[in-house]
Amino acid sequence: MIQWIVLYRKEMTEMARNYKILWIPIVFILLGVMQPVSSYYMPEILDNFGGLPEGTILDMPTPTGEEVLMQVISNYGMLGVLILVLSAMGVVSAERQSGVAGMVMIKPVPYSSYILSKWAGLLTITLISLFIGYVASWYYTSLLIETVAFERIFQSVVIYSIWLVFVVTLTLFFSTIMKGNGSVAFVTIFVVFAISTVTSILGKYMTWSPAKMTEHTGQVLLSGELDSSFLLAFITTIAIIIVVLISSIQIFKQKELLE
Amino acid sequence: MELLKASDLVKRFGNTNAVKGINFHIEEGRCVSLLGPNGAGKTTTLKMLSGLLEPTSGSIDFKGEKAKDLRQFIGYLPQYPAFYNWMSGKEFLVFAGQLAKLNRKEAEKRSEELLERVGLTNAQKRKIGGYSGGMKQRLGLAQALIHRPKLLILDEPVSALDPLGRREVLDMMREIKEETTILFSTHVLHDAEEISDDILIMHAGEIAISGSLGSVMEEYRQPILQIEFESQAADWLKSIASYSFVSEVNIQGNKTSIVLKDMVNGKQILLKDIVDRNLPIRKFEISQTTLEDLFMKVVKA
Repeated sequence: MIQWIVLYRKEMTEMARNYKILWIPIVFILLGVMQPVSSYYMPEILDNFGGLPEGTILDMPTPTGEEVLMQVISNYGMLGVLILVLSAMGVVSAERQSGVAGMVMIKPVPYSSYILSKWAGLLTITLISLFIGYVASWYYTSLLIETVAFERIFQSVVIYSIWLVFVVTLTLFFSTIMKGNGSVAFVTIFVVFAISTVTSILGKYMTWSPAKMTEHTGQVLLSGELDSSFLLAFITTIAIIIVVLISSIQIFKQKELLE
Repeated sequence: MELLKASDLVKRFGNTNAVKGINFHIEEGRCVSLLGPNGAGKTTTLKMLSGLLEPTSGSIDFKGEKAKDLRQFIGYLPQYPAFYNWMSGKEFLVFAGQLAKLNRKEAEKRSEELLERVGLTNAQKRKIGGYSGGMKQRLGLAQALIHRPKLLILDEPVSALDPLGRREVLDMMREIKEETTILFSTHVLHDAEEISDDILIMHAGEIAISGSLGSVMEEYRQPILQIEFESQAADWLKSIASYSFVSEVNIQGNKTSIVLKDMVNGKQILLKDIVDRNLPIRKFEISQTTLEDLFMKVVKA
């Protein structure tokens, strides 16, 4: 347990020293703030740069606050996921490659502590970034468009965070089983987008899919109520996360460190 | 007392047998060197002992008991120690100490002691990324010692160092030897001869020779004749192989070492030959085979 804390503290110090703890939240804030700002100024932007013919009547409905925040979530689903995966891809593989993972494991450290400290580190940065970015987005939305009930914001961000936790858990898994950072990122992103795409195409049969979290997030934002199928998706997602973590630990045990 | 015993240790990678069922034991308080050419299975053996690699079969006993997780008792310095380059030397030692179950205070205290000992006190606050190879090796030695291990395992501790760094590490090992048992692998035979009590020679995944340095040397020692010429004398050297008292001739440039079965008569006849033929010699010396000769013999056999 003590070793777990030592390792987790090391993860956090490392993220502070290489400024990950700064730039990832900043990216999320930018992604979150850009949406309400661009929605608000869209008529002006079109007017200035659109090169529309004289006399065009611009009659654009201003989106509701909920709609703007759904756009934000969808940005997080694309760029946010990309940034998270790219920043987390080397979490285990880079340490194995340099050999420092072996230097840690020659001390009496349980294999689970190593993997779980990595996981906790990723969770910390993911959740901090998502919450800060989303709150910033909410603030600008209420400033420029309209205020969305805080309760809905809170519920939706909690549900959405489950999806991102799922994504970083997958990244950790692939980083454990593969060596090249690039291939880790590629495979993770491929799998994540495959899950999302299949879920949206075969939605009826995939009510259990972790990717459904995105839909449930939208649902909560728009209506303030949870769909009844949420529980199933929630349980399977948590179950998959646990299974993936356990397999990561088991696979890590089998890997030859210090080659 | 027997500290560690390996029985029928086997490691297979796919189809290749890296280690083919080796047996040996390490006595407490000894300094043991593990010798062998590249690819003999030295590193694989050391990794199995340190708990980093699961043996395919066989067992390791520690202090007479079947070992489960030895890592608490073992300090290990890999061939290419790696560190978190963003940490300072001291930070890394404290980190390693805490991972080895020392509390923060103990880890700090022990780190300072060891930094002093390996001569890194002045560099303790610098980032490891800026350390030289020798400094990293010394830091590696310090991290292996941080939890006062019962057995210190060093994988090629001096191979990558310059003569000065090599000397420093060897001197440190000589000091450490007084406190704990050391097992180190090397292919620098001179180092093994200098500081080890016992030797194990590995070849192609098997242990070829083991025992205390003195007894091994005694057992395999052969009288040899070393002759150095001013110019090459290949013709004559070829011809002497037919003498019945000559068992082996090794030519290295102008130097030749000849293993003789009968030193007393052999040296007379050869010396006479040299005089008769007017061969230009610079040196004619009677000596004993060294560890290197023994090593070469094992490896070429």
